[in-house]
Amino acid sequence: MSIDGLLDRVAAGEALSASEVLELSAGHDLLALGTLADAARRRLHGSRVTYLRVAVCPFDDVRAGVVPAAAREIRLAGAPDSLGVALTAVERAKAVAGGRVVSGLSWADVARLAADAGVPPARALADLRAAGLEALAEIPIDAVADLAAVLGTLTAAGFGPLRLTVAAAPLAPRTALLLQVAELQRQSGAIRAIDPLPTSLDAFRPTTGYDDVKAVAVARLAAPNVASVQVDWLRHGPKLAQVALIFGADDVDGVPAADEAPEGRRRAPLEEVRRNIDAAGLTAVERDGRFQVVS
Amino acid sequence: MMIDRIARHVIEGGRVNADEALDLYRHAPTHRLGQLADAIRARKHPARVVTYIIDRNVNYTNVCVARCNFCAFYRPVGSADAYVLGFDEIFSKIDDTIALGGNQLLLQGGHNPDLPIAWYEDLFRAVKARYPDFKLHALSPPEVLHISRLNQVPVPAVIERLVAAGLDSIPGGGAEILVDRVRRLLNCYGKASADEWLDVMRHAHRAGLRSTATMMYWTVETDEERIEHMLRLRALQDETGGFTAFITWSYQPEHTERGGVEATGVDYLRTLALARIVLDNFDNLQASWVTQGGKVGQLSLAYGANDMGSVMIEENVVRAAGAAYCMDEIEIVSNVEDAGFTAKRRNMHYEILGDPIFRERDIPRMLALETARAAGDSSVPEELRNYPARSRAGKQLRLAQ
Repeated sequence: MSIDGLLDRVAAGEALSASEVLELSAGHDLLALGTLADAARRRLHGSRVTYLRVAVCPFDDVRAGVVPAAAREIRLAGAPDSLGVALTAVERAKAVAGGRVVSGLSWADVARLAADAGVPPARALADLRAAGLEALAEIPIDAVADLAAVLGTLTAAGFGPLRLTVAAAPLAPRTALLLQVAELQRQSGAIRAIDPLPTSLDAFRPTTGYDDVKAVAVARLAAPNVASVQVDWLRHGPKLAQVALIFGADDVDGVPAADEAPEGRRRAPLEEVRRNIDAAGLTAVERDGRFQVVS
Repeated sequence: MMIDRIARHVIEGGRVNADEALDLYRHAPTHRLGQLADAIRARKHPARVVTYIIDRNVNYTNVCVARCNFCAFYRPVGSADAYVLGFDEIFSKIDDTIALGGNQLLLQGGHNPDLPIAWYEDLFRAVKARYPDFKLHALSPPEVLHISRLNQVPVPAVIERLVAAGLDSIPGGGAEILVDRVRRLLNCYGKASADEWLDVMRHAHRAGLRSTATMMYWTVETDEERIEHMLRLRALQDETGGFTAFITWSYQPEHTERGGVEATGVDYLRTLALARIVLDNFDNLQASWVTQGGKVGQLSLAYGANDMGSVMIEENVVRAAGAAYCMDEIEIVSNVEDAGFTAKRRNMHYEILGDPIFRERDIPRMLALETARAAGDSSVPEELRNYPARSRAGKQLRLAQ
């Protein structure tokens, strides 16, 4: 497999075959993988990297005072006990958010709340959407039995474009799932972004730097028809999040909206994220929760 | 096109000059820099072995008169939380190190005016008497210079006496950036000018010692000065061949007088890759996971590093400045193997000692690095009374003992 040949094809917008992606994913030539993913990212986004400032609020404590004005999205954290509690939290968040996106809950939360309420997930989703929820925080591609059906249910309930996540799958099965995501995107066009790094972290067996940047690069190459590959600023930290930007990521999610600066302005979150993007040779652009550029 | 030409030159084994190094650093894409550095690593280490050492990073005192403005570790003479480790404390640390499969102390400390050369000689002799095979990788060039000035003994004689007492090799600390303009701004010109740092290393190499070389970047230096630093090391290595390895890390700003922000992960990988390209006469480049974290530390293996440095066991200096990463042997080996390399233990001379020790016997997991002393421990070692103090505070402390 000639990397130069692959690079020409990627730069021209051609998708690599599943076997090529699987072979790259299984190999140790990290820089070749990064070069290919970076070329794919640049073809889609040039030097632009977007970032999103998020106010993360516990679902049981949504008040105007805890949501900074700079937040572009309000993300409800935690797992409410019942659909009624969830709906109340969403309504409160929407009242505080105004025109900003309210996100929260995982697919598993929705399934549980629906079951407990004795209604189908589609009904629970429709109610949540009506209350003001615009996006689920986690739709883990490795933790749902039938991803196509889940995406169909979500879009039918008015959610979308969708942001997919990964719970814990190791790289090999994750690569296969990402190829499946690309196929679903060809059919539905409903997917806006994927965050390919695990949301579930194991302190005793942490993922490695190779694991993480490979996952980002593989996501970019496996699903070139999904516009954005994300990294999470808080979950992965500035160093890894920045390096991921040269391995195919184009969007930094989870930037704290509270721009406190006890260590001085230059170490405040907004300055840090912009400085890191700039130091990667890229251009920082702020977006809102609907992926619209705001600055 | 210029980058392509320089890249071809590097791939063909050519040496880059200052202008070419600057072009690469400023204009080559990060993956391209990495590929050049990785090609050199592969040429020097074709067996895809990545080494590491099990040793302990011990700081025998935090008292320092140098007052470098980038340092968060030092304490002025007479400070309430100043310390000097006792010989028994150091022996205990050696016992713990040996239990974890270690074979060496990396022993460095502040420029303490109340520790005469005899203290170092007695310590080294005592260590060697108890642990004949244990290695002392000790005293960076500014410390050697401090001992020379304090005791009015020329540097070659200091080295000779310390070697006679048991010194095995010299760590490359205190280099920062080997450009005097930078050193003046960092308030570290007084502890050692660029020439003085290099001269200590020259004398050490002539005396048969091997040493490492370091670079702390991202304070006030320009790109050109960073490259000048590398070129000065390369020139001395051409002359003596005494450096075993090069280690670079970014300035850690927290709690320092200088303050500021830390270099980013991409900056680190680019700097490391450039060092691999410029320092063509250095066999070994370490990954600084203790400042960059395990993830970027592992990624260093794709950007020119062939060594994961030390398991470390203990660390005090960069921790004081905000970096508190920890990797035990299991995690280092797991990172090496995950990146497609074979992990081997080594000594300071980069001689292979064997496979990971945890595969030979049970080793306790280590999830946080130790510190020099437990918080609040202000004990004064009894043997200090045997050594005359120079400072007023030191003399008062001796009288109180």
